[in-house]
Amino acid sequence: MVKLKEMLLYIVQAGIIIAAAPLVAGIIKMSKARLQNRRGPGVLQVYFDIYKLLAKDSVVSPTVSWLFLAAPYVYFAAAAGAAALIPLLGQGADLFVVIYLFALGRFFLALASLDAGSAFGGMGGSREMFLSVLIEPALLLALMTLAINSGSTNLSLLSGAALTKDLSLAHIFAAVAFLIVLVAETGRIPVDNPDTHLELTMVHEGMTLEYSGRFLGLIVWASAIKQLAAILLFGMLFLPLPVSGAAGIALVVLLTALILACVETFTNKMRLFRVPGFLAVSGLLSLLALVAQ
Amino acid sequence: MAVPLPAPVGSVTFAIDALSAIFILALGLVGAAACIYAVGYTTEYYRNRFRQLAGLFNAFLLSMLLVFSVSHAFAFLIAWELMAVVSFLLVIHDHHDAENVRAGYIYMLMTQLGTVFVATAFFLLAARAGSLDFGRMAALELDSRTAGLVFLASFIGFGTKAGMVPLHIWLPRAHPAAPSHVSALMSGIMIKTAIYGMARFYFDFLGTGPLWWGGIVLAVGVVSAVMGVLYALMENDLKRLLAYSSVENIGLILLGIGAGLVFAAGGKPGLAALAWTAALYHTVAHAVFKSLLFLGAGSVVFSTHTKNMEALGGLIKLMPYTAIVFLFGAAAIAALPPLSGFVSEWLTFQSLFLLPQALDGIKAKVAGAALVAVLGLTGALAAACFVKAFGIIFLAKPRSEHARYAEETPAVMWSAAGLLAGLCLVLGLFPQPLLAAISRVFAGKAGYDASVLQAGNWYTIAFRQADAGGALTPMGVFVLLIAGAVIAFAIFRFRGKPSIIGGETWTCGIVPDARMEYTGTGFSKPVRVAFRFILRPQRETLVREGGKYHGRKLSYHLSIRYIFNELYRPLNQSIIRVATKMKRIQTGSVQLYIGYLAAVTILVLVWNAWWLN
Repeated sequence: MVKLKEMLLYIVQAGIIIAAAPLVAGIIKMSKARLQNRRGPGVLQVYFDIYKLLAKDSVVSPTVSWLFLAAPYVYFAAAAGAAALIPLLGQGADLFVVIYLFALGRFFLALASLDAGSAFGGMGGSREMFLSVLIEPALLLALMTLAINSGSTNLSLLSGAALTKDLSLAHIFAAVAFLIVLVAETGRIPVDNPDTHLELTMVHEGMTLEYSGRFLGLIVWASAIKQLAAILLFGMLFLPLPVSGAAGIALVVLLTALILACVETFTNKMRLFRVPGFLAVSGLLSLLALVAQ
Repeated sequence: MAVPLPAPVGSVTFAIDALSAIFILALGLVGAAACIYAVGYTTEYYRNRFRQLAGLFNAFLLSMLLVFSVSHAFAFLIAWELMAVVSFLLVIHDHHDAENVRAGYIYMLMTQLGTVFVATAFFLLAARAGSLDFGRMAALELDSRTAGLVFLASFIGFGTKAGMVPLHIWLPRAHPAAPSHVSALMSGIMIKTAIYGMARFYFDFLGTGPLWWGGIVLAVGVVSAVMGVLYALMENDLKRLLAYSSVENIGLILLGIGAGLVFAAGGKPGLAALAWTAALYHTVAHAVFKSLLFLGAGSVVFSTHTKNMEALGGLIKLMPYTAIVFLFGAAAIAALPPLSGFVSEWLTFQSLFLLPQALDGIKAKVAGAALVAVLGLTGALAAACFVKAFGIIFLAKPRSEHARYAEETPAVMWSAAGLLAGLCLVLGLFPQPLLAAISRVFAGKAGYDASVLQAGNWYTIAFRQADAGGALTPMGVFVLLIAGAVIAFAIFRFRGKPSIIGGETWTCGIVPDARMEYTGTGFSKPVRVAFRFILRPQRETLVREGGKYHGRKLSYHLSIRYIFNELYRPLNQSIIRVATKMKRIQTGSVQLYIGYLAAVTILVLVWNAWWLN
């Protein structure tokens, strides 16, 4: 079949993103540490963590059902699927597909968080679904600023549209709007804190509290993939590529990682019920970008 | 087919066209599953009045079939009323519960109100056409004022049956009151008879209308979708949660219809057909997964005898098959790929996104983007709602004795629901056959282009218009997910065979207990707080017993205010006031009533005599 080659390209792309994802997570961690005057772990530390976790036994509560054991696979598959559909090597896909693949992973992880029957998990799941209620409309609005003029929601057409356009005011508004969503979607400060299990702040970490060993390794990796996919989306759509080709993409990812580390260093964690206002700013910027076009 | 009847009705005609066929297909699929399910479900509950229930159930199926297949206004209204009366009797089947009877009467009142508007719409048309036959009505050329009136009357009339906000108040009361296999049909098909009616009116009778028609439908769709899903998320009664979610899904269907009307008015035949396709696909998809969820809810009630989610939990181990089929329904209604809900959600997204194609100017762009965001909001809320529903009911430990001793239902029940779960997957992976059937609806209709979705092949839905296009490959997404899961498995096994050690859930060193689990109320709290300007939550704290400083027993009562129910309060009060006044002339004395009769007869005679002169 003709499509087989195309399909293979998608899978190769997913493979590259899967392999590179822990590196990007490590870069963010290290640059954050340097910004905070710490030495920090090396950029490869996330690989070592995952490698260690994959050799460990899993402690599983007798309360849980098969769903708890299946959820990491679904979460990983959804993140990998989304990674395959970013327009890099492959043809790209519809933006709604990517967003709903993220939703699929989130749905199962939130279910798994309720399965062990602890209040920590339930709290994490409840907050994660609440944040998704705020994030999804803001994310769609930010993407609409690009899509509405191109008449298509295919990501490959959108990235093309972004590349050919000059840096206008509308473009900057849209980029900041998406950056806010990016911070929220990847679970970073000021919306969520990826470095703590403290119950008052935890959202994503709360959901995964009951996971250990190989299951946790899968989830950590999948989160990194999801993060890289979102960063790529931001970089490809909203940042002008300095040089074409793989080097350009790598530069853009590095730049976005640095921006995330800066945001994480210079802001405080926000109270949960301040997040609606934070994401409303993103929505308003998107609307302004639409009007300014 | 024509059945001759005496004048003034004329002969009643039956006709099944492409539009009827889609709804009859949905009725057939859901009806078959509900019938199989009923074999198991009705054994325990209704042995004493089994014949009545079975007879009414079949009459209900027949009445809906009649609604879809007659092509004659008079017969349509008869079938419509038959459906209303039969479903009313089914709602009050469990009439020992006063709540059910009250639900039944509110339902009857609202549905009769709707029928008045539907009949008005038909009579406006029939008076112009001089016939009650659908064919003659369709051939009619209407002036814009009459068309506008017919549009409004039909939209209000059918909208009442569909359960759109603010005419939805009967729906969350009546659907949970009926036996569950009937609820499945009511939410799956009966409210869709209203969508059928709208489609019949807007395609056949009214044709392309002005822009404001679409605007009204879109506005009502937005309000129904958002309010419906917010109320669903707040609900802890499983069946009422599903009923509110039906309000939401009717809103989504209306978004498709509204976009279709806007495109038709803006002279975009291809996009008009696309938007209607979204609405009709969602109609069928929702029929399947909502009845699946109601059947699942019925199984839960069957085994635990409670609809209260806070008393459930842990059923995934006790009722494994029911849990799996319910999970399919929950994922489909949350519009997750690769299930059926995602296909219709994608089509609706595309129709809303392309709205600026029909209208010029910046307002249209902002409106299009905002509508897409609203649809995203309802999608996320629906996902939260069904994470809550599935998580609280099926996962963790049982929260009460009811749930602790639950048993799996008879195979006939879960396999009937399993058929529908399979359909969710089939409609999600292979949308082409149904899309082809839907495209036949537009054949030969002015203002619609039936060929819009023909661009794809068996695994891709694609459309291409002048400067717009889109494609979705559900099968490709499915393959990617499978590949992703395989990679995950390889990673999992990368460092040898895994071993799993048992260890209790971490609860800071205390022995875990079902009372430590998150509750449904707790799960929905962040949304309740963030949306408090709509939901108006109120919390009462009662101090039950104990001294001032120690051993106090507190009880909380949480409620939300349904702002749309308060619209009805003035109406309610004025009806009661008029009725109180009427009491004075209704004394109960027979002589007085005979006197009234005589007086009216004389008045009529006198008036007639004058009039004739």
